[in-house]
Amino acid sequence: MKDNGYLDDRSRAGLHPIAELRGVSKRFGDVLAADNLDLSISSGEFLSFLGPSGCGKTTALRMLAGFETPTSGEVLIDDQVVNDLEAHRRPVNMVFQSYALFPHLTVEQNIGYGLRQQRPRLGKDTIREKVGQALDVVRLSGFEKRRIWEMSGGQQQRVALARAIVNQPKLLLLDEPLAALDRKLRKEMQIELQDLQRQIGITFVLVTHDQEEALSLSDRVCVMGEGRIIQIGTPQELYDSPRSRYVADFVGTSNFFEGRVTASGAGRATVVLKNGMPVEGRVTAEAAPAGEACVSVRPEQIRLSRSDRTGIEVVVHNRIFLGEHTEYLVRNGTLGDFLVLSPRQSELNDGPFNTGETAWASWEAGSAVVLEKS
Amino acid sequence: MRLYAIFVYLFLYTPIAIIALFSFNAGRHASQLQGFSLKWYGTALSNPFVMDALETSIVVGLIAATLASLFGTMAAVALQGVRGPVRALFDMMIYVAVMIPGIVIGIATLIALVTAFDHLNPWLAAIWPTQSAPQLSMGKLSLIGAHTMFTMALVIIIVRARLSGMDRALTEASADLYATPMTTFLRVTLPLIAPAILAGFLLSFTFSFDDFIIAFFVAGSETTLPIYVFSSIRRGVTPEINAIGTMVLAVSLVLLIIAQLILRRSDNR
Repeated sequence: MKDNGYLDDRSRAGLHPIAELRGVSKRFGDVLAADNLDLSISSGEFLSFLGPSGCGKTTALRMLAGFETPTSGEVLIDDQVVNDLEAHRRPVNMVFQSYALFPHLTVEQNIGYGLRQQRPRLGKDTIREKVGQALDVVRLSGFEKRRIWEMSGGQQQRVALARAIVNQPKLLLLDEPLAALDRKLRKEMQIELQDLQRQIGITFVLVTHDQEEALSLSDRVCVMGEGRIIQIGTPQELYDSPRSRYVADFVGTSNFFEGRVTASGAGRATVVLKNGMPVEGRVTAEAAPAGEACVSVRPEQIRLSRSDRTGIEVVVHNRIFLGEHTEYLVRNGTLGDFLVLSPRQSELNDGPFNTGETAWASWEAGSAVVLEKS
Repeated sequence: MRLYAIFVYLFLYTPIAIIALFSFNAGRHASQLQGFSLKWYGTALSNPFVMDALETSIVVGLIAATLASLFGTMAAVALQGVRGPVRALFDMMIYVAVMIPGIVIGIATLIALVTAFDHLNPWLAAIWPTQSAPQLSMGKLSLIGAHTMFTMALVIIIVRARLSGMDRALTEASADLYATPMTTFLRVTLPLIAPAILAGFLLSFTFSFDDFIIAFFVAGSETTLPIYVFSSIRRGVTPEINAIGTMVLAVSLVLLIIAQLILRRSDNR
């Protein structure tokens, strides 16, 4: 059931939803931590909640786990309303940000903890066998008798994963599981997580504030802000067709040019920028913005040129060499500063630009997106 | 500052050191050192009055420490779930219980129990089927009660410190792994706070074993070791008393050190 994020909404609707949020809100005192969340999680998919801290992503996850009860709305797992079902009765497992491994138990006892709670009781041999398999999956065979504090951060992470997947939950919830790891280990674990999900076919729900992590791992990403779901889509949809400035800004890097809409129709709109230049772009929201708007263009979509004097005249203000790319910070008198990411290939044609040099920035009409001003 | 500290420590510990030193005195007189001997320890340990008092002290200490650990742990765990003004009230009462001078606790407990017994005894006599109804009076039970009440506050403070240092995610993880709240308590919470409970038990025992002031008021006709020492001193300080004092000191110190080690070791994990 792996779709690699390329299923469109129609074919996705045919998949069986393993969990749903229906109009779910959660209030803590005066704070509305989750505001009317509607979401359907398909069986076998890898879904991420992405957003800055305090956006409600962890609250959403904790309501699925059963640690928080919604103030209103319904949480469904496997077509059953589970609002009042206690955490220990839910067929879901969680990997905690702090791992929450039991320090007084060995690796083996930690992983077998969930199995030992099952009724009717499982035999000792069955438990040992399943624990062994789980250790195998996370490549920690031979560490059975180790104590938790004898393990490195990355190993503890894998024990936490094994402890959750050994129970074959309907949903595996991951609360910023990689946040505590250093950058290199995090990359490795991201790949391992994705492999693991393909291998065991369990539905993964990940909470992260790291947009790169969400984009690289997930089939679908649910971008959240201020307790609400801002946009749900495949990583590519979110990147190419953000429906709001918030998403365009949070998913990847983007340049925003403000202006006024002068014409719109058929999924396109024309915006006159502050320097009087008309720019055409795609409209991704349901309706084209009227009046004030902004145009979002990704840095890698912008082409810098010396010879072709069309587009925006800029002065190269800063240059950062990134190997296969060069990042330029360029400045236009009226439009301000923006970023251009130029591949090595194009520099062979036009040569690298030096700081202080004048150049012309332009992009294809299809790569610009017209969004509400804020 | 340094000199000042030295004087404070000298002032505090010299009398204790002298008692320990003189307990090994070979001579009869407490004021004159006449060579090294262990004979006063022998005398003390073969004195039936001392052994009786020691037994009472140990029995009272063990029972009071056990009850205090049990109820103190229950209270600490229950208080974890309490928030707001109720929690503040309990916190205050616990600290007050530790800070109130022993003499106040002793007198207050005495008055409270005597008043209660005065009301209960006639009532008990009236409903008792036979003529010889039991009389409630001060004794081991009142002593155990008073020590339990006081040391429970110590246990609550120690166990609560451990509980609040515990990652809340651990109990959530246990629930997430299908464990009922009872299983979570028995298999996760209890093992993790066990060192604190044990340390609380040892401190409680030490307190009860050492206590003179509260015991003096509520022990009735019972004699604990500190009470025995106090009543003997009225007949003059003998090397035997020094030996008893040194033994009590040694037991207390050893238990306190063990309690500290347990707490420190468990914090490092």
